[in-house]
Amino acid sequence: MRRARFVRVALLAALTGVLCLPMTAPAQKRGGTLVMLVQPEPPTLASYISTSGPIGQVATKVYEGLLEYDFNLKPIPSLAESWKVSADGKTITFVLQKGVRFHDGKPFTSADVKFSVLEVLKKVHPRGAATFREVTEIDTPDEHTVVFKLTTPAPYLMMALSGYESPMLPKHLFEGSDIKTSKYANAPVGTGPFKFVEWQRGQFMRFDRNPDYWRKGRPYLDRIVARFIADSATRTAAMEKGEAHMGGFAAIPWSDVKALAKLPQFETTTRGYEMSSPIVQLDFNTRRPPFDNLKVRQAVAYAINRKFVIDNVWFGWGKPATGPISSNFAPLGFYTNEVKSYNVPNGVEVANKLLDEAGLKRGPDGVRAEIVHDQTPYGEEWQRYGEYVQQALAEIGIKATLRYEDVPTWLKRLYTDYDFQLSSNWIQGLADPVIGVHRLYHSKQIRPGTVFVNETGWSSPKADELMDQATVEVNPRKRAALYKELQKIVVEGSPLVWVHELQFVTVYNKQFKDVIVSPLGLYASFDRAHSDK
Amino acid sequence: MLNFLLLRLAPGDAASVLAGEAGSATPEYMAQLRQRFGLDQPVLVQLALYMKNMVALDLGFSFRYNMPVLTLILNRLGPTLLLMGVTLVLSVGAGVTLGILAASRAGSWRDTLISILALVSYATPLFWIGLMLVVVFSLKLDWLPTSGMETVAAFHEGWSRVLDIARHLILPAVTLSLFYMALYTRLMRAAMLEQAGMDYVTTARAKGVSEGRITLAHVVRNAVLPVVTVAGVQLGGLLGGSIVVESVFAWPGLGFLAFQALFARDFNLLLGIFFLSASLVVVVNLGVDLLYTFLDPRIQV
Repeated sequence: MRRARFVRVALLAALTGVLCLPMTAPAQKRGGTLVMLVQPEPPTLASYISTSGPIGQVATKVYEGLLEYDFNLKPIPSLAESWKVSADGKTITFVLQKGVRFHDGKPFTSADVKFSVLEVLKKVHPRGAATFREVTEIDTPDEHTVVFKLTTPAPYLMMALSGYESPMLPKHLFEGSDIKTSKYANAPVGTGPFKFVEWQRGQFMRFDRNPDYWRKGRPYLDRIVARFIADSATRTAAMEKGEAHMGGFAAIPWSDVKALAKLPQFETTTRGYEMSSPIVQLDFNTRRPPFDNLKVRQAVAYAINRKFVIDNVWFGWGKPATGPISSNFAPLGFYTNEVKSYNVPNGVEVANKLLDEAGLKRGPDGVRAEIVHDQTPYGEEWQRYGEYVQQALAEIGIKATLRYEDVPTWLKRLYTDYDFQLSSNWIQGLADPVIGVHRLYHSKQIRPGTVFVNETGWSSPKADELMDQATVEVNPRKRAALYKELQKIVVEGSPLVWVHELQFVTVYNKQFKDVIVSPLGLYASFDRAHSDK
Repeated sequence: MLNFLLLRLAPGDAASVLAGEAGSATPEYMAQLRQRFGLDQPVLVQLALYMKNMVALDLGFSFRYNMPVLTLILNRLGPTLLLMGVTLVLSVGAGVTLGILAASRAGSWRDTLISILALVSYATPLFWIGLMLVVVFSLKLDWLPTSGMETVAAFHEGWSRVLDIARHLILPAVTLSLFYMALYTRLMRAAMLEQAGMDYVTTARAKGVSEGRITLAHVVRNAVLPVVTVAGVQLGGLLGGSIVVESVFAWPGLGFLAFQALFARDFNLLLGIFFLSASLVVVVNLGVDLLYTFLDPRIQV
């Protein structure tokens, strides 16, 4: 009797134990070191001065932003726990998380937000002056409330507050010194899940777990190390050997991704680039013959076989592009494919007809015109792409000579001297069309000496007007309608050829989970990443 | 000064590279960068500033890295000297030994084998040798790490760190040595054969000195002179680093830093590296001259 009772009690205890277990024990295992390949090595960690990709991949583990974003491109809380946009769109109020501290122990407050936006991002950030142009004043009624005052509504602003795009910096460390030469450019102090420890140049950067992180219990990893290996074949070998666990943004070349994906220990994903949205293009100089003629530009657009390029140059990764706005913006309603399509089966035929109409007659050798084709100097694929373009143009009687220069020379040729006819290029749509797309088509964006703006020289008063309206339109539905109209006009005008939406592939070791958890991808803080080994 | 002017001939500037990496920039931002880098000044003003700094032995500031040039270079000097020192010892040691072995039985199968080995390792591209060594020794056999200077996830301390670095050093040093070794082998073999026909060798043989002693004490000592000359010249080049080996093995050396600086138009840094390499070449050549007097007492200082 007594014995039976004991068994019952024991059973009950065991049962309660089992039931309680999932609630009390952490779901994610603590510990582990994640080694990520970052290519090329960033020059500094000053993500408030440069938005360069490699800087973004490492600095985001240290600096956080007011917001994060989910895969529907909707803002979710980060350093701001809630926010409210006024009906006229001119006042945005953020309520900050409480108990957040910088890595040096000082509290994070509304004063830091005000300083970061007005004194740093607006003044020294490459896109900050554009993003925060309308923010003229910031009120800080108390330590945890920030009020942005805008002169005109800026709907795109809410898309640009991630830790990558707009990092929040410690006012007490930057104030009073020259921000551009601050020593914290090489030793960042932020609020993020990982603390900067050391940087052995040419080798690695080390970030250790921040035990006082404001999201209690996170991060799960003990350490993140960013490694720099210049040779792509060696990077792949290091992944295979397990010396490195992750690589994205073409750190593992497309040609090697296929090989690594076959190994059981690797996972690949194309998610986590939804806020970069790069499009592979062919840019015309519309000031010079033969591409000052709309029909000739359209003929080239018809002559390119998108599927061939994706399958053969980018090993199957990519999606045919339809116009200036990437399909990644579909969740916001900005994207449409109801535009003139150049991606048709009889493209070469149409192209030849257009060139005949344009008065470019074939000579005795079958050549209608001779041009120089510049290639984006960013690696192997771009050279293959250039060779394809050369052949595709030959089919419609345009003889292209290829030119491949180094990055500074190419940038100067395209964006300062306008000394080109046709160049390959790839441009990111970024977090919002106002920031990433307008710059290529607005007449005010023809600015010699400034890179990655409108270098084709094309513009149209109607397109300008639509972009100006979309910049201040607070109603998302009306804004979407403006962008659909804009896409029709720009695609018709064909200032460049939108070939395909470039898909980067992130390769990572399966022992790590929850690495890519938002559209920010490798630009996220990795506070949720964990190792199950 | 010549370096300075030559570099200014390259199109594009550091500001456009930085903005290019950023993916986008406002014109205000670009103007701000150029002003900060002093790129808005006329070239002659820039040159005058540079000369003034050089007189004070001030190598300047790298705006790209937000760091003094000297610190950047010194960080890379250690690993460069380590890799190059080991390479020099390995390549001269192996080259001289193989050269002696080949020359002492000229025309035999051993000579032929060594000559073929030297030819093949001289003619094969460095990056290919490097990658093949990685495939064989780190991926297939799993003996050595693929790249880097130490195991980054582990952060070893003390002696285990030294051992760790030594393990990382093997592949890049062997790759680089193979190339130079081939050169020294050929050179040593030719010099040995030339010396072996000299009168003093006949004299020594007439005196009844054993063949082994003739080779080691007389012929080698004379034949090694051209090798030392060539090694001295090459050491200067080696100190500038090897871009190929450094990039394949992710070794943090000067060569790759200079390569990056060129493509980023970071002229202050590039000029600093040039200056340092030039100074080292002068020092090394002085050392080689002194070594001569030791090897050949006929040469006076």
